[in-house]
Amino acid sequence: MISVYELFIAWRHLTSRRRQTLLSVLAIGLAVMTLMVSQALMVGFTQELYAKTVDKMPHITVKPNPDEDHIHLFSDLAGKIRSIDGVTGVSPVLSGQATFRYKDKSKNVIMQGILIKDHDSVLHINEDITEGSLRDLDATRNGVVLGDKLAERLDVKMGDSIDASFPEANPTTLKVVGIFDTGTPEDERLSYTSLTTAQDFFDVSSVVNLIMVRAEDPDMAQTISHKIDDLGYQAASWEETNPEILQTIRIESLSNDIILGLVIVIASFGIVSTLFMVVMEKTKEIGMLMAMGVSRRSIMTIFIMESGFMGFIGAVIGVAAGILISSVSGPYTFEVGQEFYAVVSTIPFVVRAQDATVIILFTFLLNLIAGVYPARRASKLDPVEAMHVE
Amino acid sequence: MSDEKIIQITNLTRIYVDGVEIRALDGVELDIEKGEFLAIVGPSGSGKSTLLNLIGILDTPTSGTILLKGIDVTKMSDKERSRIRNQELGFIFQYHHLLPDFNALENVMMPLLINGMKTSKAREKAREMLEEVGLGDRLYHRSNQLSGGQNQRVAVARALVNNPSIVIGDEPTGNLDSKSSDNIYELLRKLNREHNQTFILVTHDERMAAKTDRIIRLVDGKVVEDSRKV
Ligand SMILES: Nc1ncnc2c1ncn2[C@@H]1O[C@H](COP(=O)(O)OP(=O)(O)OP(=O)(O)O)[C@@H](O)[C@H]1O
Ligand SMILES: [Mg+2]
Repeated sequence: MISVYELFIAWRHLTSRRRQTLLSVLAIGLAVMTLMVSQALMVGFTQELYAKTVDKMPHITVKPNPDEDHIHLFSDLAGKIRSIDGVTGVSPVLSGQATFRYKDKSKNVIMQGILIKDHDSVLHINEDITEGSLRDLDATRNGVVLGDKLAERLDVKMGDSIDASFPEANPTTLKVVGIFDTGTPEDERLSYTSLTTAQDFFDVSSVVNLIMVRAEDPDMAQTISHKIDDLGYQAASWEETNPEILQTIRIESLSNDIILGLVIVIASFGIVSTLFMVVMEKTKEIGMLMAMGVSRRSIMTIFIMESGFMGFIGAVIGVAAGILISSVSGPYTFEVGQEFYAVVSTIPFVVRAQDATVIILFTFLLNLIAGVYPARRASKLDPVEAMHVE
Repeated sequence: MSDEKIIQITNLTRIYVDGVEIRALDGVELDIEKGEFLAIVGPSGSGKSTLLNLIGILDTPTSGTILLKGIDVTKMSDKERSRIRNQELGFIFQYHHLLPDFNALENVMMPLLINGMKTSKAREKAREMLEEVGLGDRLYHRSNQLSGGQNQRVAVARALVNNPSIVIGDEPTGNLDSKSSDNIYELLRKLNREHNQTFILVTHDERMAAKTDRIIRLVDGKVVEDSRKV
């Protein structure tokens, strides 16, 4: 337990040498502020990356068993998956390759037969429609919706008819009823038809070859994927199918954490040296306090508290300044550079209460620990010798 | 004055090993009774401060024992020693040993706060103590705003505020002029009579020593004279 007098002495030591205290606190504050702003950017980057990638891909994909080409009784399985905790959307898909031809242009594409509502619940594709509408896939016989880049390549417009063919498929004519733009490379090769249209084209009935699943929280995808495995199917989470996304986030945040953790450790060294100065200046006083009956343990507590105070106040100031900077600066925009980052070109500052709390606690604890060394030195002083110091 | 022995010192030796061996105290035997007002005198380097620091449990003897109210203080833990320093002992030193960051009132409050007294009560008691030493009008001054004599009065108030059974002073008037010195002496004497506390004072000042009840003379770490007034 901390006594009133220990607090009183610690506080007075700090307030009576205001300038040194202020400098140490500001050093901590500056380090913490940098950490806070950088953390806000990191969180913003992660969120943006998720929004631009993970959000636009199925969180979990279920494939047919190895010895089979299709998933039979898919409605049954879809129902079971839908009842797993944390699943917000399930979409059975029949996906395959096709060659689209329009006038003299032709292109190999991926054709996916979908149930509109189900697929929208997994990929929010309605949001990406720029022309026409998804609903027309059901309303129009043999309707197709194309990615905008793909439409450009084929030079087709709304209402145009495309010839679709592929070895072992039933050639057919598809009418363009919609265009979408997801902002991902998929726009160059993906097309949607209704499930029945796709089944007719690929010459199968009542089967699909993919089930796509959306999780409420992308970080839960792995868990849900394991539960689907347990049902006897082959599920893969987005982390498994697109490991580079997670790797990017991990590498970014790890190097970020290490560098900034170091900054705070360095600032804490400032506090240690300040504290050593206090101990040297106060040697005589420490002797007097011991003569008055302050135990060595209490002397230690007093100096550790001083370090803790400075750390805590510095952390609070730093976090406050960091939040202020993050909220007045707009999103950080950078030149589109490397391939992967091309998806993300602006990063918003996202301040989370949990980050602020963790940073303050981390800094406080670090400073308590940093204070131990000088505090030990103080508590080991010999009272007689200490009082003789001038 | 009662015959109760408050301090019993047996065969007390303190050797400093600092390149050469220095016997600062050499087999000192000494009993001190409750309420005594005694002076320790002797030439420079004779071991006066060493003895006082041992009685004040600020230092540990090389051999021998010190019984304080019958309890051996040489073998106590730091926590117990600290508690005894706080509750049973009051220290007054030659140079004003006040805490520079605290004003007079706060300095006097400190032993009370260390003892766990509530701040409001400690403030009240410290104020009374400062009034008793004649500094009721200097409560909020810091050490550097007070004269040497005033500093020493604050130190006296601080040493006595916890009502210790033993007050020790290492040349408490050493750096004061003779008038202030007399004042402090009178103050200590008055407090000794009123509270029946034991006072052990180291002094170079034979004039002051002559006014005490008992004089112990040290030479080369040995007691060479122990004279009581009758
Ligand atoms: N920390 C120490 N290390 C080594 N020797 C010491 C130490 N403290 C005291 N001494 C030696 O012990 C002896 C007694 O010292 P002490 O301070 O008790 O003398 P004193 O009687 O108080 O002298 P003075 O009247 O000058 O204050 C001296 O020879 C001194 O040099
Ligand atoms: Mg001395």
